[in-house]
Amino acid sequence: MSAATNPLETVRTRRIPDRTWGMLLIVPAVLMVACLVLYPVGYAVWLSFHRKHAYLPVETFIGLTNYKNLFVDPQFWQSFWLGTVYGFSTIGLQIVLGVAAALLLAESFKGRSLVRGIALFPYVVPTIVVVLIWRWILNDSYGLLNHILQSIGIVSAPVTWLGPSMILISLILVSTWTFFPFVLITVLARLQTINPELYDAAAVDGASAWQRFYHVTLPQLRTILFVVILLRFIFMFTKFDIVWLLGGGSGGTGRFIRTLPVYTYLKTFGQLQVGAGAALAVIMVLILVSVAVPYFKFFRPAQDI
Amino acid sequence: MDKILHISWMRQSLIYLLALGLTFLCVAPLFWMALTSIKPDAEILASPPKLWTNQGSLDAYSRLFAHTNFLEYLQNSIFVAGSATLLCIFVATLAGYGITRFRFWGRETFAATTLFTYMMAPIMIVIPFFILMRGLGLNNTHFGLILGYSAFALPFSLWLLRSFFQSIPLELEEAALIDGATRPQAVRYVIVPMALPGVIATSIFTFIVAWNDYLFARIMISSDKLKTLPVGVQDLMDSAFLDWGMIMAAGVVVTIPALIFFVIVQRFLVTGLGAGGVKG
Repeated sequence: MSAATNPLETVRTRRIPDRTWGMLLIVPAVLMVACLVLYPVGYAVWLSFHRKHAYLPVETFIGLTNYKNLFVDPQFWQSFWLGTVYGFSTIGLQIVLGVAAALLLAESFKGRSLVRGIALFPYVVPTIVVVLIWRWILNDSYGLLNHILQSIGIVSAPVTWLGPSMILISLILVSTWTFFPFVLITVLARLQTINPELYDAAAVDGASAWQRFYHVTLPQLRTILFVVILLRFIFMFTKFDIVWLLGGGSGGTGRFIRTLPVYTYLKTFGQLQVGAGAALAVIMVLILVSVAVPYFKFFRPAQDI
Repeated sequence: MDKILHISWMRQSLIYLLALGLTFLCVAPLFWMALTSIKPDAEILASPPKLWTNQGSLDAYSRLFAHTNFLEYLQNSIFVAGSATLLCIFVATLAGYGITRFRFWGRETFAATTLFTYMMAPIMIVIPFFILMRGLGLNNTHFGLILGYSAFALPFSLWLLRSFFQSIPLELEEAALIDGATRPQAVRYVIVPMALPGVIATSIFTFIVAWNDYLFARIMISSDKLKTLPVGVQDLMDSAFLDWGMIMAAGVVVTIPALIFFVIVQRFLVTGLGAGGVKG
């Protein structure tokens, strides 16, 4: 058989080189990410040095004025601290509840896969629904929670869960309820890949349940916890919708949970100061980076196990 | 076997008790929503609250569909989330296949950049995105919203699809090519059937992202007839008359598609998100 009649040869000569094919296939994705994500991010940085009204095309360069204004703005600092308290407390609770639930679901018992599926429900329920369910349960006059707490005698008078003094705590608890399944699912996936021989060895050595957790399980979870805490930090620190909606939008007691993302939204789409809003967004990114870098430096696991 | 024998009865009971507690924590609020939606008005505000009802009815649902624009919001949501899913998955599938099957310059950079954009918070992107869409005259259109959701869901979809494509052995495709199949034929008869479950799972994730979004929809859409469910339902909740039965009925309708789809892809969530999506 001569080379000219070999079908493979003819196919090869007519074929577009693999390299070109690969590049052609990613073109749409590159365009989409570049035009609709990367370009807007760059544009936001650019906007932060300008004064711009949300609906007017005029953009006036004002240097660092937007940033300077924010640093002397008490509302900015209040939002910063509120966001910090909210972020750290809800992340802490999510990690504790998520890891505990994952450890439970790593045990074998009847109906385990059913419980595992159900435990993810809070994470899948749309945020707007999470908010309307909890605004109903936490309602001070007709809410189920106040009724339960009163009937078992924990509180004597109804608590105004969504009032000025309690709304931050309510927000932290409701956020924990919706987002802990994220921790649960990632930690559980890791738990299921731990070599059972490690536990057998520990059991032979006479380790107690707590010792097995501390010396076998926890070191194995280190890498995944490192990643999960970082992701939760990024997500919670920039969380907008649940905070905004639970606070009842621009009115109501929302101002007592006005975290940085909410303040950014209000600046941009409430006061229509796009430049100042963009500066706030940039500051948020800088805060994330300034926390993430030391976090990487000090807590990064020595090696990926 | 030895291990099983050592588990004491007390330990097993404790596990069941805790599992019951976890189930209650996750289901009770949803149950309460569903129950409120079928209770007669008088029972909704009853004190003490009734934990069951013998007079369940769908009145709240008929009020919801008859007296509000809920049906329109529902249609808008289905259209927007569906279109965004199609667009996003089409683009992500091409790219996912491209980066797992071909070696070319910038491949790694592309994968890393895409993952990096996954970290971008919506609140940061939405400001310039709004200005951009306004400039193009696409604010207050479903098309603008569809573009936004597709782009925003793309990094995660691509990441998931990449791990699905990686799990299909290259040898299968090579064998088909050596047997004389063209590349399109190899894709059609070898890759598509094997990748289909992964593509479906990824589509569902994208759909849920678009279905659940509030922020983009709030900012992009101003006319009532174009609103999607999260925004429409918020406005229902904020409107003067507070009909809790109807609001809970709206909640149930918004939740059901997300929950059904989620149950279908649950096992992919454990393997895909846990092992590939986050650890990578």
